[in-house]
Amino acid sequence: MRSHWRDGDRTRSVEVTRLETGHYRVRVDGAELEIAVEPLGEGRARLAVGGEHTVVEVTVVDQRRFVRLGAMDFVFERRARSRGPSAGAPGLEAPMPGVVTRVLVAVGDAVRRGQPLLAVEAMKMEHVIRAPHDGRELAEPP
Amino acid sequence: MFRTVLIANRGEIACRIAATLRTMGVRSVAVCSEADRGARHTRVADDVRVLGPAEPRASYLDVEALLEAARSSGAQAVHPGYGFLAENADFAAAVEAAGLTFIGPAPEHIRAAGDKRAARAVAERVSVPVVPGAGGADVAALATAARAIQYPVMVKAALGGGGKGMRIVTGEAELAEAVESTRRLALAGFGDDAVYLEKHVEKPRHVEVQVLGDGRGEAIHLFERDCSLQRRHQKVIEECPAPAVDDELRGRLVTAAVAFARALKYRGAGTVEFLLGKGGAFWFLEMNTRLQVEHPVTEMVTGLDLVRLQLEQAVEGALPLAQSEVVRRGHAIEARIYAEDAARNFLPQAGIAARVRWPQGPFVRVDAGVESGDQVPVHYDPILAKVVAAGMTREAALARLAWALDESLVHGVVTNLPFLRAVVRAHSMTRAEVDTEWVEREFLAGFAAVAGAPAPELALAAAALFEAAGNSQASRGAGDDSRPARADAFQAAGRWRLPGL
Repeated sequence: MRSHWRDGDRTRSVEVTRLETGHYRVRVDGAELEIAVEPLGEGRARLAVGGEHTVVEVTVVDQRRFVRLGAMDFVFERRARSRGPSAGAPGLEAPMPGVVTRVLVAVGDAVRRGQPLLAVEAMKMEHVIRAPHDGRELAEPP
Repeated sequence: MFRTVLIANRGEIACRIAATLRTMGVRSVAVCSEADRGARHTRVADDVRVLGPAEPRASYLDVEALLEAARSSGAQAVHPGYGFLAENADFAAAVEAAGLTFIGPAPEHIRAAGDKRAARAVAERVSVPVVPGAGGADVAALATAARAIQYPVMVKAALGGGGKGMRIVTGEAELAEAVESTRRLALAGFGDDAVYLEKHVEKPRHVEVQVLGDGRGEAIHLFERDCSLQRRHQKVIEECPAPAVDDELRGRLVTAAVAFARALKYRGAGTVEFLLGKGGAFWFLEMNTRLQVEHPVTEMVTGLDLVRLQLEQAVEGALPLAQSEVVRRGHAIEARIYAEDAARNFLPQAGIAARVRWPQGPFVRVDAGVESGDQVPVHYDPILAKVVAAGMTREAALARLAWALDESLVHGVVTNLPFLRAVVRAHSMTRAEVDTEWVEREFLAGFAAVAGAPAPELALAAAALFEAAGNSQASRGAGDDSRPARADAFQAAGRWRLPGL
C-alpha cells in the first residue's frame, strides 16, 4: 500500500508491503526497511528493524499523524496523492488559525513578492502574511 | 480564611491556583468563556461560571461579567492569576468596591508599579539604577528621545509585561510603525494604548526578585530567579537561584527589590525585574504586581506555596512569615510548554490536544492546563503547561528537566517541546552562559536546520504502518459489516485503537 505524507516542506511517499503477520517491508523515498511490528496498545508499538527495537506512538488527528519515536516527535499530514511543486490553485493558506485584523490590499491590486497582504492575530501576537510571488489580488479572504 | 475564592483566569494558572485552594479547604470558582466550556480549569474547580463569548474582551476581560460571577457564586475574594486583568487597577478597584477582596496589591500599587514611567520614578527615588528611557504618545517626541538615548531602543506596552507587545527598534525608520503596532496590541491586550521606550542593553541577563509586602511598608524577599532564556523577549526557561549571581550580588539585588517594594508600601506578592549586565551592574526594569508564570521555581527551592502566602497575607494583613524563615535549598528549573510550532517560526497552534501525557518522577512538578482530549483555542496565550524539575545542584535539576521534557507528550497540537529538549541540552545552557538574546543570536539557526531536516525513515514508516495495519484488517472484514471501514479498521487492529476514534 502506497501513501503520501507531508513532512515539513516536502512530500514523501511510503510503500508498505505485508510479508506475514506483524512483518512488513516498508520503502520510504527509496530506502527499504524490514520491520517487525509488535502492537503495545493505544497507538503504541514496538518496531524491530534489524536488531534494533524502538517504541513508537502514533496519534491520528484528522489527516495528521503525530508520531513519537523514542524521545522525538514528528507530525506528518496524509496527502491524497503525490503533488508536484505548489503550482496548484492560486491562493494562500493561513499559517495558523487566527483572526484577520487588517487587510492590506484590495481586489485587483497588483502585488509584488514579499508585499504584506494581511495581518492575522492569534494568541496576542500579530503575524503579517506576505505575497509568495508577484501577482494580482483576485479575491478577498473569506 | 475565605470560604470561596473566584479565580479570574483560565488554563494552567487557574488549575494551579485551584490546587492550593483545595489544599486549604477553600471552595474554588472557575470562570470560562464559551470556547473554554469543559476546559480543565473548570473541571478542577468546585463551581464554574460562564462569562461570555470567546473573545477575551467579552469574557476574561469583562469586569462586570466577572463581578456577577463572583456575586452569584458567593465568592469573598478574587484571585486574578497572571495576564488578563491581573495588573488592571480598575479591575482591582471594582473588586474592592463590590465588597470583595482582591488577592493582590491595592489599585494604587498596580498603577504605580504597572505604569513603567511611574515605576522608574520610584526606583530613582530609592536609588535603584534604571535603564534610560522615555514614554508618551507623540511619535515625534519618542523619536527625539530615542535619538538622545541612542538606538537600539525597545518599544513596550506601558501596561504590558511578560514580553507581550515588545519590539526592538534599530533605527528611526522603524520607529513609527513599531509604536503604532505596539499601541494596537497594547489596546487589545491590556486595554490601554500607552507605550514606553527605553535603551536596549545588549547581552543582558534577566534576573528578578520575588517580594512579598504587607501594604504598610514592610516587605521581604523570596530570593531571585534567572529568566534569561527568552525568545523574542518571552521567557522560556527560568531558574532559581540565578547562576550568574553570587552572594554579594544577591545581597545587592534583594536589597534593591525590597527597598522598591517598601517605597510603594506594596501589598501581596510581586516581582521586581532587573537587567543584569557585565561585572554585576544591574538596572531596574519593571515590577510585576502579580504571581509570575515562573513562581514554581521559587516554591521548589524555598518550600513555600506562593498562592497560599498570597491568601494568608490577604486575610491577615500582616506578612505570614519573617525574612529569617525564608531559606533556600538546591536548584529548580522550569520550562514553559507552548502550543507553537518551533519548526515554523513558532507560529501559535490550536486544535484538540488528543493525547497528552506529563512526566511523573522524583523532584518533577507539572502545572498543566490540558489533558488528553482538551481543546486549545486560538483566542488565548498559547501556554499549555509548566514543567519544573529540582535537584541539589543546577546540574541535577537540569538533567531531570531534560528527562521530564523527553517524557512529556502532547499529540494533536504542535508544541515547542522539540525546541525545549534541544535548548536544555545546549552547551551554553549547561554552562549557564545564556543572555536574553542568546536564542536568536546563537541557537535558532542551528535548531531550524535540525527541525527542518527530513524526519527519520522509521518515523514515516510508523505513520504508514499504523494505516496499513488497520487497512489490511479492514479489507478482510469489508462487506461483512456496514460500519465505516476506518473505524472498523482500528477496532480490528485492536490495540492500535486510539482515544477519540
